[in-house]
Amino acid sequence: MEKIRDAFDFGDFSKPEKVGFAIFTLLLLIFPWLGVGSFVKAVAIQFLLFSLFGMGWNTIGGYGGQVELGKAQYVGIGAYTVALTMVWWKIPFWAAMPIGILIAIGYSFIIGYPLFRLKGHYFAIATICTSLVLQDIFINWKLVGAAKGIELPIHEHPDFLYMQFKSDTYYFYFIMALFYTAIFYMNWFRKSKLGYQLRMIKEDEEAAESLGIDARWCKIKAYSIASAFVAVGGGFMAVYNLYIDPYSVMDLDLSIKIALMAMLGGAGSMWGPIIGSGFLVPLDRFLGSWLGAQKGLIGVDFMIYAALIMVVSAYQPQGIWGIIEQFRKK
Amino acid sequence: MILLDALLQGILMGLLFALVALGLTIIFGMMDIVNFAHGEFLMIGMYTTYWTSLLHIDPLITLPASAIVGMLLGLASYYCLVKYLLRGPMIAQLFGTFGLMLFLRYLAQFLFGIDYRIIQKGLLVGKTLSLGPFRLDWTKLSAAILSLIAFLVVYYLLHRTKLGKALRATALNKEAANYMGIKTDRMNALAWVIGGGTVGIAGGLIVNFWYVYPTVGLLFVMIAFASVAMGGFGSIKGAFFAGILIGIIEMLFPMVGHFTGWDFFGPHFKFTVVYFAYFIIVVLRPQGLFGWKK
Repeated sequence: MEKIRDAFDFGDFSKPEKVGFAIFTLLLLIFPWLGVGSFVKAVAIQFLLFSLFGMGWNTIGGYGGQVELGKAQYVGIGAYTVALTMVWWKIPFWAAMPIGILIAIGYSFIIGYPLFRLKGHYFAIATICTSLVLQDIFINWKLVGAAKGIELPIHEHPDFLYMQFKSDTYYFYFIMALFYTAIFYMNWFRKSKLGYQLRMIKEDEEAAESLGIDARWCKIKAYSIASAFVAVGGGFMAVYNLYIDPYSVMDLDLSIKIALMAMLGGAGSMWGPIIGSGFLVPLDRFLGSWLGAQKGLIGVDFMIYAALIMVVSAYQPQGIWGIIEQFRKK
Repeated sequence: MILLDALLQGILMGLLFALVALGLTIIFGMMDIVNFAHGEFLMIGMYTTYWTSLLHIDPLITLPASAIVGMLLGLASYYCLVKYLLRGPMIAQLFGTFGLMLFLRYLAQFLFGIDYRIIQKGLLVGKTLSLGPFRLDWTKLSAAILSLIAFLVVYYLLHRTKLGKALRATALNKEAANYMGIKTDRMNALAWVIGGGTVGIAGGLIVNFWYVYPTVGLLFVMIAFASVAMGGFGSIKGAFFAGILIGIIEMLFPMVGHFTGWDFFGPHFKFTVVYFAYFIIVVLRPQGLFGWKK
């Protein structure tokens, strides 16, 4: 009971934040009815999806301060479990999703236990390596479709059990529901015992250990929470795109994007990942559709994107939320 | 016999992997920065040699051009980007160099297109050396020899000259080095110049027998990460032996499939097993095989 009240209690946020959050919620609720095109709607779905990923990453990467660059493997586990169980056993999405989450959590414990012996750069590169190994295995594993990937069967009629709809609007509300579940969870998480322990570990790991915090175990727990978040997003990707392959759900670029969005918005803050993804996803998609379509300009959109990443990392490593905080202190 | 052949090929390839890793490990040892753009430096070195070879200059003679381009690239990245990244937290440093990597990759794609290119003619291209039962490509052999020479030169520079002493002093304790009158900022820039130069040379050597395309860097940078981490971040000796070790693993692994007939051990997993080996080694020995700095 206490926990549930904590999750819905936004009392310690400042007034502008509360007002902003309320307006944002209202905007999201009426968004599909504003007469926007299908492309904008798809971008909005991407935005909510990447916010979900970013919030997951934020538990271990933001609050825990561990540079984790292998989240794509859990997107892949979530997406593949949902797709495979739905294709093989014809079970509904709502049964497939929990299986995906459980597998992701189990796998994250197996990987996390040796992984968190490492620190700093060794850890960052090891996370990339584990993700690449899993991707290579899936590219060559014939049982799961190898490099070709798998297609989900298309139902004739919209079906809530199998999460198949004719219009993006339904997917939008579904991912929005996931997004808000994540927000309430994160709101509880940042005030939970684990949340405080992680922040302590981030500040000074040795001091935290001397106070009796088992740093490695805390990190593993946060890592598995992050993995569960990301696996949910992966499962959504499977039913939304109706097609997955190892390149679309397990690529290194995806891992980096997830971490990048959280960092750009402001790692370790409640709103950071949402701001980051609200900034980067539209930029990425609109630049891509605007410049990518023009002849002779292939790659320019990514160059602008990359230049932006460099400028932010060099001058404002606290992210956009860091700028806002500085501004408020003045 | 086929095993020995694979071993030999693995050592040759490993020497090149080691040369790619050399720049990465020097930069890391100096300022604790992992340079994601390292593979893209290699790609640009490869393109430099490729384009100059189209002017009917032999790819081996144009190596200095690749080296100079690499050095300038290193210098520019240091003064325009890395200098500012050093003030921030580790994650910002990672993403800063990651942004540089994306930028260079798509710049190359914008300028040169996504075609796969390889050097068609040259003094050594396509010639093989028969050494008893073994047949070695001259391109690979000369590349391996030159990379060995480059290694020795850098090792000499770092461990036997005054400049190298200043570099290592900066790596060990920046502030103390500053008090001793060492211009640490310049030393950092020098590390980037050496790193860029060696990887430029490596690119010039590799393009003789490997296709160049804008995303070629990723595979090499991952292998370089693995060899640097295996050898211990910042250790030159470590990068050398780990590079060779990786070359051997990458060549011998498909041999297991060849002998057992088990499909799993095929060439398609040869780089996967390198990543896996990295993971096992750093977990069991987190400071790497030859780590000198924790």
